[in-house]
Amino acid sequence: MASKSLFTCILRPSPITLLCANNNNLALLPSSYACVQQVRHRRFPKFVVRPTTRKVWHVRKWTQKHDDKLITSNEQFIQDIVVQNYANKSESPLKDAPWNRNPYIKGTRRTGVLALKLGTMVQWTKDGKGINVTLLQVLDNHVINYVPPELYKFYPSHLPHHSDRFGLQVVGALSCDPRQFSKPYNNLFVKAGVPPKRWLTRFLVTPDAAVQPGTPLCVNHFRVGDYVDVQGRTRDWGFQGVIKRWHMKGMPASHGVTKSHRKMGSTGGGGDKDGIWKGKHMPGMMGNRFSTLFGVKIWRINTKYNILYVRGRSIAGAPHTFVRVSDTVLPTKRIKAENAENVPMPTWFPEDETEPIPEELFDEEMFQFTSPSVELEAES
Amino acid sequence: MLRFRHQMQPRKLKVTPGANPQARINKLREIVTGLIRYERVEPLWYFADEARQYAERLLYLAIKNGDKHKETMELADYWLEEKDLVHKLFKVLVPRYKNYKTCYTDLHKLAVEYPGSGIPMGVLELRGNPWPPIIARQRDTKFILSNMLLTAAKQDFYNTKQQLKSDAATKRQQLIEKSDDMHTIRRTDDSSSVDPPAKTENLMMDR
Amino acid sequence: MGFKGLFESGQGFTMTDVEGKLVPERGRMDVEGAFTHVSSSQVNVAYKSTHVINYKRTRAEIGQALRKKPNYLHYDLVDKHRSSPLQKGTDNITVETDVKAPRDYRFIMPEFMPRPHFEYRDRVLEKLERRDMLRRRTVINIPEFYVGSIMAVTVSDPFAPNKKNRFLGICIDRGGHGLKAYFVLRNVVDGLGVEIFYQMYSPTLHSIEVIRLEKRLDDRLYYLRNCPLEHSTFSFDMEPIALPRGAQVPVNTLKLKLNPKPWDERWERQDLKGIEPIELTPKMIKGIQKVHNASATPWKKHDLMLHYRSKVNEEEEETIMAEVYKENQLLESMRKTSKATLKKKK
Repeated sequence: MASKSLFTCILRPSPITLLCANNNNLALLPSSYACVQQVRHRRFPKFVVRPTTRKVWHVRKWTQKHDDKLITSNEQFIQDIVVQNYANKSESPLKDAPWNRNPYIKGTRRTGVLALKLGTMVQWTKDGKGINVTLLQVLDNHVINYVPPELYKFYPSHLPHHSDRFGLQVVGALSCDPRQFSKPYNNLFVKAGVPPKRWLTRFLVTPDAAVQPGTPLCVNHFRVGDYVDVQGRTRDWGFQGVIKRWHMKGMPASHGVTKSHRKMGSTGGGGDKDGIWKGKHMPGMMGNRFSTLFGVKIWRINTKYNILYVRGRSIAGAPHTFVRVSDTVLPTKRIKAENAENVPMPTWFPEDETEPIPEELFDEEMFQFTSPSVELEAES
Repeated sequence: MLRFRHQMQPRKLKVTPGANPQARINKLREIVTGLIRYERVEPLWYFADEARQYAERLLYLAIKNGDKHKETMELADYWLEEKDLVHKLFKVLVPRYKNYKTCYTDLHKLAVEYPGSGIPMGVLELRGNPWPPIIARQRDTKFILSNMLLTAAKQDFYNTKQQLKSDAATKRQQLIEKSDDMHTIRRTDDSSSVDPPAKTENLMMDR
Repeated sequence: MGFKGLFESGQGFTMTDVEGKLVPERGRMDVEGAFTHVSSSQVNVAYKSTHVINYKRTRAEIGQALRKKPNYLHYDLVDKHRSSPLQKGTDNITVETDVKAPRDYRFIMPEFMPRPHFEYRDRVLEKLERRDMLRRRTVINIPEFYVGSIMAVTVSDPFAPNKKNRFLGICIDRGGHGLKAYFVLRNVVDGLGVEIFYQMYSPTLHSIEVIRLEKRLDDRLYYLRNCPLEHSTFSFDMEPIALPRGAQVPVNTLKLKLNPKPWDERWERQDLKGIEPIELTPKMIKGIQKVHNASATPWKKHDLMLHYRSKVNEEEEETIMAEVYKENQLLESMRKTSKATLKKKK
């Protein structure tokens, strides 16, 4: 009974429907009789509002400064102890035996590093063509923790698109005095045996590329000529209008325009598409969110100061912000398994090298400043 | 070079009337003049922080160039509204700060009044001034419990460190003497076998 | 109200499952307001921290979090981390001040001074950039020159017949910091004014010769575009004339006469010393007054911090110039010895 009434509501009454209503045989219906109305796809909101609440699983980081009443010699003594306990350790911080090292195969994903953005520079290729490069310094990086995929599945921070094959690798940068941090924050670093870090991030890695907590990461983790993804935080612009934030046009300065030179126009249509849709571009907080630059080439490496020279100058953020650098995920630029003999797996260790590494490593196409000027061959 | 941490960019100060750069400079000029005159002033903290940079810079230039430099004299003439202070700057303050290796001023933040505007006040003062100190002289904390315990621990720590060092030295000497007696191991081999980890570290640093 | 009552009311009670039994975790507020704790002996659970962090922030705190703020580290803090005893594996730059550069050294090689903005400065980057520049200077000789001196430059050019191009002209502009340093040459070829922009450290440059070393009255000579062409014509066969050793660089006090209008820029509004006084029309006078009233900023002359922020400070300038001076001295001695050996071979 119900089906009959529903069909009569939606479709025009026709002999066939009337026939079919009793039989419940919908396959007989011609397709032209089905009501098909195209609904415009609502886009996923491009910009998500910056969350003002902290994640529940983050511990509180900063605390009050230490006691002021200590005399200076005692202050010095405490600093000495901090340095001795963390930096000048005679024993290895690793309590377990070193983990097994696997070869690089198809589908491996290694950890990334945290780097400090220094600024931009000009360099030249061997053809005499100028290129802009950005300098990224890998300062004082350590692996803090590893969580295998079986455990990470149940973590509150696990998102649906993190598939089951990835574990969690926590990496920290910039060692600090532990007195300025809270106790739960300091406890995060006990397992790795390193001083507490100013900055922490996580990378998704496959279990064969997992790194043991406590191992230092340096610039030799990457090779010259590889491609990397660089993720950084954009500048904080604060609350901005529609013209600066979304590049809308506004309205002209004259010709009878009043009070709407820098305003947005209409917010939506009428009829079926009425109302303001989700993700409508409007004024609001601009910047201070992560943006990624995919597939940038490493042109040059300085191993003494741990610096990567990376293509382009459009890496997000002001100088002296932190960026996450990891192997690229682009299928055409990714490290190929057949080209992966020299890839440091899971990361570079100083024991690997028999000879001392040169201070500067250049790409093949890169011009070196000690070599003579570019000479083009005359056509005969 | 300024010897304290300051903002990278200048502040926009809300000066009334006339919210323009000239009014801003006039306001700061007042504070700098008052600072040189009384050696301690109490403006808003934001104003004091901004005026401090100008005062320090003026003092630095006065010390560097002296009173026979024409441009410095012009600057002093502009920044000190009362002209007897120019004399004080070059004759009193320059000799006082000649050998300073720190900054010449101090800035303190006062507690916010409640109820009130909520804007913090600050105290800006020249170092070495004749006024009683702002931070009251603290009780001698040498004999409070935490300091006493720490001093004891400190002595223990450094003593054991020295002992360990001397012990290692004596052991090495004994070993060397033994080897000399035995005529089997050379000194160089011995030293290399004692601390290989240090050597690898050096390699890492040198590469 | 006892333990049982609390259990029945179930207000704010959390239960944990221990060995198949429901056990209360901790006490809560009684009905009458008294706080009752369940003693730990009754509870058969491992200790759980009762410390609660308040993640809800006040309106003022949220407002402060939303306010615009820099998300970069202060350069002071970065330097501190680089030289920290807790840090290992990365070197930090060292300052050497055993030599002192001459006073006017800064004006001979102005491109060695970094950009003075506090936010864009980094000591390590500057050091590496300077090292690259000095390396390039070992390969080609970049002589001392100023705006107004006549120079000849040879470049490798893919479109030239011999794949090399030599151009001679007067330097009308010079600028840039670090490896981005540049200069502009101007000459007249076949009755047409030609200006070429050269990057000073580009590897395509083969040689830079200074033919007349002199200065002009202005820092930029773009007004030569609106002067008669004879003032910017120089023959390509000019021979270099070297200054006597120890002589000061001469200043050419030539005053040029501009062509009649139209001009590329409004030259009358700029304070140019190298041109003859212009006959001002009433419209021009109005324009000059307008510009000068708008940019009348008498306070700029006395704004100490503006001067401080727009220039690299004196102490740092000295250390940088001393480093460059030391390297250049080494370079010159190397060149002299190589020349002497070449002569001996001949």
